[in-house]
Amino acid sequence: MTQTPKVVGFICDWSVDLIPLSDGGRLRALPNVRVVRVPCSGFVRPEWLEDALNRGADGVFVTGCPYGDCLNREGNFLMRDRIDQLQRRLQRRKVDPARLGMLAFGLHDGAAFLAEVKAFADRIAVLPPAQPARTAGRPAVAQPAGTPEGDRT
Amino acid sequence: MRTVYVMGVVLLSALSLLFALGIIYGEATDRWFLGGGSVGALLIAYSFIVLLLRKMGMTGPRKTER
Amino acid sequence: MSTVVERQIPGRYARLMTSLLRGTLRLDVWVNRLYPTDFNPLYYTGGLSNLFLFTLVLSGIFLFFYYDASLGEAFASVQYITDGVPYGGIVRGVHRYAADGFIVGILLHLLRNWFTDRHLFARDNPWISGMFLLLFGGFIGFTGYQLVWDERAQLLTSMFVAMLRSIPAAGATLTRLFIGGLGISDGTLVRILFLHIGPATALYAFLWWHYVRLRHPKIWPPGVWVLFCVGLVFLLAGAVPVTREAIPAATPAARPTSFPMDIFFLIPFWLLNFLPAGVVVLLLVSLFVGGLVIPYLSRRETPTEMGVRHSGVAQVIDGNCTGCELCYYDCPYNAIVMVPSPGPGLSKAAANRSLLAVVIESRCVECGICIGACPFEALELPKFLERDVLRQVAEAVQA
Repeated sequence: MTQTPKVVGFICDWSVDLIPLSDGGRLRALPNVRVVRVPCSGFVRPEWLEDALNRGADGVFVTGCPYGDCLNREGNFLMRDRIDQLQRRLQRRKVDPARLGMLAFGLHDGAAFLAEVKAFADRIAVLPPAQPARTAGRPAVAQPAGTPEGDRT
Repeated sequence: MRTVYVMGVVLLSALSLLFALGIIYGEATDRWFLGGGSVGALLIAYSFIVLLLRKMGMTGPRKTER
Repeated sequence: MSTVVERQIPGRYARLMTSLLRGTLRLDVWVNRLYPTDFNPLYYTGGLSNLFLFTLVLSGIFLFFYYDASLGEAFASVQYITDGVPYGGIVRGVHRYAADGFIVGILLHLLRNWFTDRHLFARDNPWISGMFLLLFGGFIGFTGYQLVWDERAQLLTSMFVAMLRSIPAAGATLTRLFIGGLGISDGTLVRILFLHIGPATALYAFLWWHYVRLRHPKIWPPGVWVLFCVGLVFLLAGAVPVTREAIPAATPAARPTSFPMDIFFLIPFWLLNFLPAGVVVLLLVSLFVGGLVIPYLSRRETPTEMGVRHSGVAQVIDGNCTGCELCYYDCPYNAIVMVPSPGPGLSKAAANRSLLAVVIESRCVECGICIGACPFEALELPKFLERDVLRQVAEAVQA
């Protein structure tokens, strides 16, 4: 796999404070990590995580508030469950579930957050490359949508 | 670090035994305040034992919070 | 904290609240070093208060069996609980210290939910009911001190009557209502017993109101804290008995002039040392009314000035909704209800639906959790559409 994996993170508005850590779209300390801000970690649809993987991200994670302190009370728990379910679905399609991550950090946990994201990126960097794209001759009925670098036909 | 936790659990368990004996002694000699206070001390010792078990990793968070 | 648009200079109130928020959350960093986050007591302040309330009810029922509400016998019955009933003194102590814990829990709960913005806009119902819970809780504590009918109770009663009398127009009537006549009699203590137990029952009605806009309210703390708090209350009851202050019984001839202070419930009476009764009453009323107004103070500033995202309330895309109820189950504020579908939806999956999701806009806080829950793309936040998210994802991956 590439040395610096491409990672996309969905960061909740109320969790870790991104203002000192990022400038617009990416983390300063880890330039290969791009961030998308969401109003709550529970806002993220699992489909978007799959979409990020399909478009070429090597890994994707969601960051919410510490468990027990979600501003909207249950968002991080719900997201944790959804990511578990998505990991199981992707595993059936032979996508490594380690490519998905759920993080939980509070406003002042910037250093711990960066360390965890770095560990996540390092874990992805050593994974075997994802399945190559299926050829167009495949029947259209069974969409092999699980290949991260494949195209949906 | 783990040995510190284990020693803590052992120490707290010994104290819990002491407090339990205190409860029985308080009931036997009609020293109600001693008995009641020992109940409280026992519960507090239990709470610290559970905390140390959690920090050791022997008990874990709910599945949703891994 | 975060905005989708460029940061404007926030308003003064917003800056103050932001600094309080940051300070509160910095405290969390220290606490989370000691405890795993699911043991952090600051995340369960409501549950802790509820635990203490439960302890109060149970110990109160015990005390109620032995209490005699008459001027001559009240003190003797309380004395009997301490000396004659096995562990009676412990139960008295448990009742007293659980009450202190209850007030501490409520105040921590109030401050935390105030400083972390959990009372704004559609979340004001728990705040308003919470202020009433605080008021009633404080009053119940005061009447509890009166029930013992020792010299402290006697002095407290006359001080409270002085405060009631200072209220213009209604003062004399309120005094007569409180005392049950023109002077203190047996009827007074019966009335005070009612004013202790009745509001305590009313607390549960207020708690219903407090929980009604929340899904899965956290009404109980983690087991570790149940053990610790119940244990602490029993330990204090045994180690620091409430009878050590040895206040003598109230008699008609006694004219007590001072009593041992309790910082949890009796501060207004301590203020009567320095301020006239009318001023103290006015202070308490202003504090209560000021507290009720807190969720509405921020509405003078727009969400942008406050530095929060304003996504618009969630909207159901009627054509796609299949009535699967997933959004209904996930909304933390009970803002989505399922209604019988007036007609079929447009997409294939929605054609055979029997239910339709409806967002109650006054309850929606724009968090977007329903959008995350819906598998059929039947919900959107108007100012942060799904296609905006996918565009940002595409940009993020391509860059």
